[in-house]
Amino acid sequence: MLWVDKYRPKTLDKMIVHDDIAQHLKKLVTEQDCPHLLFYGPSGSGKKTLIMAVLRQMYGASAEKVKIENKTWKVDAGSRTLDLELTTLSSTNHVEINPSEAGFQDRYVVQEIIKEMAKNRPIDAKGKKGYKVLVLNEVDKLSREAQHSLRRTMEKYSASCRLILCCNSSSKVTEAVRSRCLNVRINAPTEEQIVKVLEFIGKKENLQLPPGFAARIAVQSNRSLRRAVLLFETCRVQQYPFTSIQAIPPMDWEQYVSEIASDIMQEQSPKRLFMVRGKLYELLINCIPPEIILKRLLSELLKKLDAELKHEVCHWAAYYEHRMRLGQKAIFHIEAFVAKFMSIYKAFLIATFG
Amino acid sequence: MGKRNVIVLSSSEEDENGGGGDGSSNSGNGVRSRSTNRISSRLNPGPSVTTSKPKKRARRRISESNSHPDSWNVELGSFDALCEDFYDGFQEFRKVAGSGPKDKSELWVDKYRPQSLLELAVHKKKVEEVNMWLKERLIDSKDKLHKHALVITGQAGVGKSATIHVIASHLGASLCEWKTPTPTLWQEHMHNLSSGVHYMSKLDEFENFVERIRKYPLLPFNTIGKSMKPSMLLIDDLPLINGKQALGRLRKCLYTLVGSVQIPTIILITECARVDSSKNSARDWEDLLSSLVNAGACKMSFNPITTNSVKKTLSKICKEERCSVTVEQIDQIARVSGGDIRHAITSLQYFCLTPSQLLSFNTIHSNDKADEFRTSDDGFALSFGRDETLSLFHALGKFLHNKRETVNIAGFGQDLLLLKEKFARLPVKMDAPEKVLYQANVQASPVADFLHENVLDFLSDEAVDDAWTVASYLCDADNLATFHGSLWSRTTNNQEVDSISHLAAASVAVRGVLFGNSHPTQSRWHAIRSPKLWQAEQLLRRNKNEMVRQRNEAYRELISSNISVMATEYKPMLRWLGSRAVEAPLVYMEGLQDCQIDKDTFDDTKMDDVDDDIEDW
Repeated sequence: MLWVDKYRPKTLDKMIVHDDIAQHLKKLVTEQDCPHLLFYGPSGSGKKTLIMAVLRQMYGASAEKVKIENKTWKVDAGSRTLDLELTTLSSTNHVEINPSEAGFQDRYVVQEIIKEMAKNRPIDAKGKKGYKVLVLNEVDKLSREAQHSLRRTMEKYSASCRLILCCNSSSKVTEAVRSRCLNVRINAPTEEQIVKVLEFIGKKENLQLPPGFAARIAVQSNRSLRRAVLLFETCRVQQYPFTSIQAIPPMDWEQYVSEIASDIMQEQSPKRLFMVRGKLYELLINCIPPEIILKRLLSELLKKLDAELKHEVCHWAAYYEHRMRLGQKAIFHIEAFVAKFMSIYKAFLIATFG
Repeated sequence: MGKRNVIVLSSSEEDENGGGGDGSSNSGNGVRSRSTNRISSRLNPGPSVTTSKPKKRARRRISESNSHPDSWNVELGSFDALCEDFYDGFQEFRKVAGSGPKDKSELWVDKYRPQSLLELAVHKKKVEEVNMWLKERLIDSKDKLHKHALVITGQAGVGKSATIHVIASHLGASLCEWKTPTPTLWQEHMHNLSSGVHYMSKLDEFENFVERIRKYPLLPFNTIGKSMKPSMLLIDDLPLINGKQALGRLRKCLYTLVGSVQIPTIILITECARVDSSKNSARDWEDLLSSLVNAGACKMSFNPITTNSVKKTLSKICKEERCSVTVEQIDQIARVSGGDIRHAITSLQYFCLTPSQLLSFNTIHSNDKADEFRTSDDGFALSFGRDETLSLFHALGKFLHNKRETVNIAGFGQDLLLLKEKFARLPVKMDAPEKVLYQANVQASPVADFLHENVLDFLSDEAVDDAWTVASYLCDADNLATFHGSLWSRTTNNQEVDSISHLAAASVAVRGVLFGNSHPTQSRWHAIRSPKLWQAEQLLRRNKNEMVRQRNEAYRELISSNISVMATEYKPMLRWLGSRAVEAPLVYMEGLQDCQIDKDTFDDTKMDDVDDDIEDW
């Protein structure tokens, strides 16, 4: 088992990071009926861990007995019946799904599947009607229509069902949904917090941590706790006992992006653009989301860039990121950004060095 | 004689002018009016000495028109008696009227059907090739040649059937044709059902026919009284196939036919879909063709007829018809025909017909209409000509090579809006991009994909700015094509909106490429690649599924994380942990090498899916 999972805190009390939020949530769940919840925050900050802990707090250990199912849902969409296949993760009291996996048919998922689940109310041992919890991941990736139908579902079945929504950015969730939920912002852990977690794990694993080593991992991890723990484990496999100068292996795709960035800086020509395109394809094929590629590429480029140009380059990156979300073919937009960068950078070089 | 001519001409004139008003109410009906002609010529017993030869020719003609799928008189058997009558009269009429200068009662295509080898417009070598092949089989069939099938391919109207017919008559062989059954309409089908006739698919009928041909060799019908004539079999019109299963049946059927047939058999395949290589039908035909060749059939392909020989034929017809068509006009007709002689002749007839016809009509009217004719005469090129179709690659070539005039001659629009230096472009040397797109008959998104894949090769090495301009226009095109989904998906007629936004997207993509590429490279040969984007998308989908599967099966503990986290964080780590010895980025290369193999299998499976759907319907 990976350390990430092994040392994931199971209960709200054991939280090392965000312990204040955990205590609040505990109070909320134990003392009164809990409202719909919306967790948002950057990836690797502990949203999922918190959600699982909340579920455990609600239902006890039974929440951890989950089974994975690949269910096919028949949805009656007006003139035809759609078959939607979706992976669900469920225990007796909660169901977790990732509706955006259904792609552009996500609104049916929200409308029909959630409705159906919400209707089947569990009855607990005392004959009292309890409520089910639905965990929806990546709500920010839902289409606008789906989010609208989500709003309706929330209102209609609020008696029998609680929704826990989870997303990276609350700005992509509609106002209507946000206002119906208790919004819980989960910050990215600070580097000190990450160091604390790493030291905790190190103690559990009986590892000798040289001074400053955990801090270096924390810096490299980009304030993502998940990544920090993964890096930590990688280092452990790579070399133990640790040395203070031990290199921390970077993510291969990030390395690849920085290669692309240096390619771009080296030469600005259509030929080079074509080469870059090939590399971008390779990243895309490996399921690296285009937004992340663009973001990473921008930060790599900014590292090497004259301050004068940074503003303009950022502007274009934002512009093409937006366009990418409107369009379908991500490669067109990333490539357009690269081309624009090349064009700007070349003009700059000519202006400065003649 | 002269008098008779007058009578006939007036009656034919009448029915072409839409029944001039001599009281015969249904003179618009072709059969009826022609039988009037017959009667009028039968009044004079003189020329009705009909020999059997023209009759036979007429028969053949009708069998030829049978081979055309939408001909109106297909069921020869049931109309036999009527037809005989009709053709008797028609033949006489033809003899009489044909002597006059203006016989408009017949299509020139039929009238000037080549009767001898010399008249054929097909290239002499090709004709000779076919001739030799047939001769070998027909005349010196003593030595048992086991290859008795010939496949002839070519565009429509390049004289495939004509060549076979002429050669057959030249060699004195009798030609048996597969007579395509009439397509059944739904109403007919209902009618037939009530009368107990069951529907039989045309493919079934064809299979039966082939079966019969194989089992029972052709009976020499004409042994009585005549010397035994060698016979040959012509399959002009293969049944329409739809879907993989039907293709398989047809292929199998033809395969056995080719393998076992004892008399020379000629199969004609019209390459109608060749230009549009993206359609599956073209692929199907190629498939069929190659399987025929594998079965041992000899393959010949007819090229489009050269402009010169079309011109020669046209001027010969003009001379015979005594119509005044200038050399330039003939030249133009020949050029726009695209090597389709049937079309060229029909165009010529139409062209010769209209002015004189209408002029005679106009004598009553004032001469201002005559002016109109002069003008329409000038612009005659517009009134006919095949709509050109372009292959996708041809169109892409036009866009990518971006040929422009060297000087701005026309200067159109210059006075209307003055463009800044950097926005001005020389006029392009082609039709409007939208027109080219229309001719190539492609969708917006493949066009954008192809342009995106290939355009960088055509930019000069220095022009990064151009690259950006092009890329930004392609982005716009992508966004336009996706536009409908978010905004108007609920509107009722989103089909229409879709198509408009797609048209706009294609137009933006193409014009963007044309505009952006302001410093094209020296034109040299470039291979046009098919978009790598397609492979990438396919691989992406596969990898994603794979990842979901892995997540569900192997790493149960990872279940809570989504795909992007998997891809960006767990996967690299696991990869690293799994294969520390190997340099990590190599894994990417692996993925790409799979591409090539995958692409083919992907295509096949995709086709399968599509076909299955059709079958289910």
